[in-house]
Amino acid sequence: MTAIVECKGITKHYRQGSIDVPALRGVDLAIEKGDFASLAGPSGSGKTTLLNIVGGLDRPTEGTISIDGQDLTALDNEELADLRLRKIGFVFQAYNLIPVLSAVENVEFTQQLMNVPAKERRERAKEMLHQVGLDGMENRRPSRLSGGQQQRVAVARALASRPSIVLADEPTANLDTKTAEDLITLMSDLNERYGVTFLMATHDDRVISRTRRHIVIADGRVASDELRPAEMAV
Amino acid sequence: MMDRLRLLLPLAWRNLWRNPRRTIITVLVVSVGLWSILTFSVLLKAWSVSSRDTTLKLMTGEGQIHATGYLDDPTVAHRMTQPAGKLENILSSSAVAAYTKRLRIAAIVQSEYKTLPMTLVGTDPARERRLSVLPDRVREGRYLDGPADTGIVLGRNLARRLKTRVGKRVVVMAQDEKGKLAERAFKVIGLYAAPQQTEDQFAFTGLKTAQAFTGIGTDITEIAFVTPDSQDIADVIARMKASSPGRDIQSWKTLAPLSYAVSTFFNEFILMWLWIMFALMAIGIVNTQLMAVFERIREFGLLQALGMRPRLVLMEVTLESAMLIGVGVGLGIAMSVLSVQAFPNGIDLGFLGRGAELVGAGHILYPKVDAGDFALYSLIVWTLGVVATLWPARRASRVSPVEAMGRF
Repeated sequence: MTAIVECKGITKHYRQGSIDVPALRGVDLAIEKGDFASLAGPSGSGKTTLLNIVGGLDRPTEGTISIDGQDLTALDNEELADLRLRKIGFVFQAYNLIPVLSAVENVEFTQQLMNVPAKERRERAKEMLHQVGLDGMENRRPSRLSGGQQQRVAVARALASRPSIVLADEPTANLDTKTAEDLITLMSDLNERYGVTFLMATHDDRVISRTRRHIVIADGRVASDELRPAEMAV
Repeated sequence: MMDRLRLLLPLAWRNLWRNPRRTIITVLVVSVGLWSILTFSVLLKAWSVSSRDTTLKLMTGEGQIHATGYLDDPTVAHRMTQPAGKLENILSSSAVAAYTKRLRIAAIVQSEYKTLPMTLVGTDPARERRLSVLPDRVREGRYLDGPADTGIVLGRNLARRLKTRVGKRVVVMAQDEKGKLAERAFKVIGLYAAPQQTEDQFAFTGLKTAQAFTGIGTDITEIAFVTPDSQDIADVIARMKASSPGRDIQSWKTLAPLSYAVSTFFNEFILMWLWIMFALMAIGIVNTQLMAVFERIREFGLLQALGMRPRLVLMEVTLESAMLIGVGVGLGIAMSVLSVQAFPNGIDLGFLGRGAELVGAGHILYPKVDAGDFALYSLIVWTLGVVATLWPARRASRVSPVEAMGRF
């Protein structure tokens, strides 16, 4: 297996007034290509902080983090933005889409930042929307899509730039049961059919039970990291 | 760069209309502010031109030539010979649109009822018509028909004060070339209308008649001239001075300091008004854009999280401002043009009575759109507006994605 993400000795401290609050206390973690992993843990355990650091949205206090061999701690803000654009797909819990763009334009957005030619990116965006089951909704703006449909557009956008890894933060938190199930199935299919690597921070047992790798964070450390055979993932 | 613009332009334009009410209010602030700047500039310029024309087209011309000392003591003692040589060449060249020769002297006019001081002007009517409007302002009787005309044309108010009229005779007294008092009767052949001060001061007769009256042969005391629009008056005067060093040659700016001061003041007033209006507009624009940025702080975090470079976020917000102010500027220009076109026959200042006359303006202002001024003031407002919004744009670009989105 090839490690896409490698975290070594990651610590993160926040200042709250004069108090130093540790959020991560030395995390060593490697995410392999093709992983379909969940990152769980109680609130305040540090999973969001870890996901922020893996996604290049925040910087560790100590330790190194690399994606596809590239050391994130050595990059400035502009270079980090470029790295997020090319290597990482994001699916956020809420406020996922750019409200003034249609579904297809949202999917095209990251490709446009990457200067993908107009015809190619439009075709790719439509194909992605087809993959996530949103045929016929290409021209709808987010305000005319349901929560589940918006998350599907977000997944399509995350995949359209062909990232090394997709990071999802509580992707099902705002969805009803049926929509949440559909979304998990969609991501699982994409992982199995195309080998897309997923790392999802979640409390949702429905998500956890479907992932093949289950990482638990507690008190800023990796408490457990278990691989489950595919047949065990429900 | 074009790829970036193709990405950012539609995004910026659509973002503008997310809050139509706020956008419309900002557009109105910019457009009304610019409208006031442009319309004021047009009106003040019209006033300035009117003031200048009223002075220059009555008697002054754009420049005058005298013998040295004449302006301090306007008598025949300070007369000069007819222009000749290089000076005449310049006066006859394309650098000068028209000129007239005058004998202009302090005099006393007497009717059977009253004696009043005035200035007698001997002139060649054909030449005078080319640079003065007074020959066409005769309201009773006629103007002079040639340089040898022996009649006199009085201002209406002077005639009223003298209790004389067309067809009657008045006696004019002035110093002759020997310093003695010359005296002659003139038949009143016409009465002209002009600002009251002019009507009271100037009376016109034929140049040759005035020369004979004062006994100065063919000498004159004044040459007034105008230049073509494209000509630089300072350059013409410099050339004249070089060609004729013994003469006192002045532009209208020296001869009519009030008119010059009025036009200078108006130019400065327009600039001052521009800054006041811009300061007010800038407060409105910056406030609006700051609100828009704070409302969309999560979105800027999202854009950066997705891989949009901070400098592109800066460009996007700046483009929004540029478009917003651009729409306001366009509307402001349209409103100003319509405002000016609403007065195709000029603006009648008759309601101001003699007030307008006192500051040298004519009774009717003719506002005109000056494309150069419109472009300059609009560009200044647009540029400064965009620069002012760099502050909120910079704040948007410096947003930390993690903090902006609250959590991952």
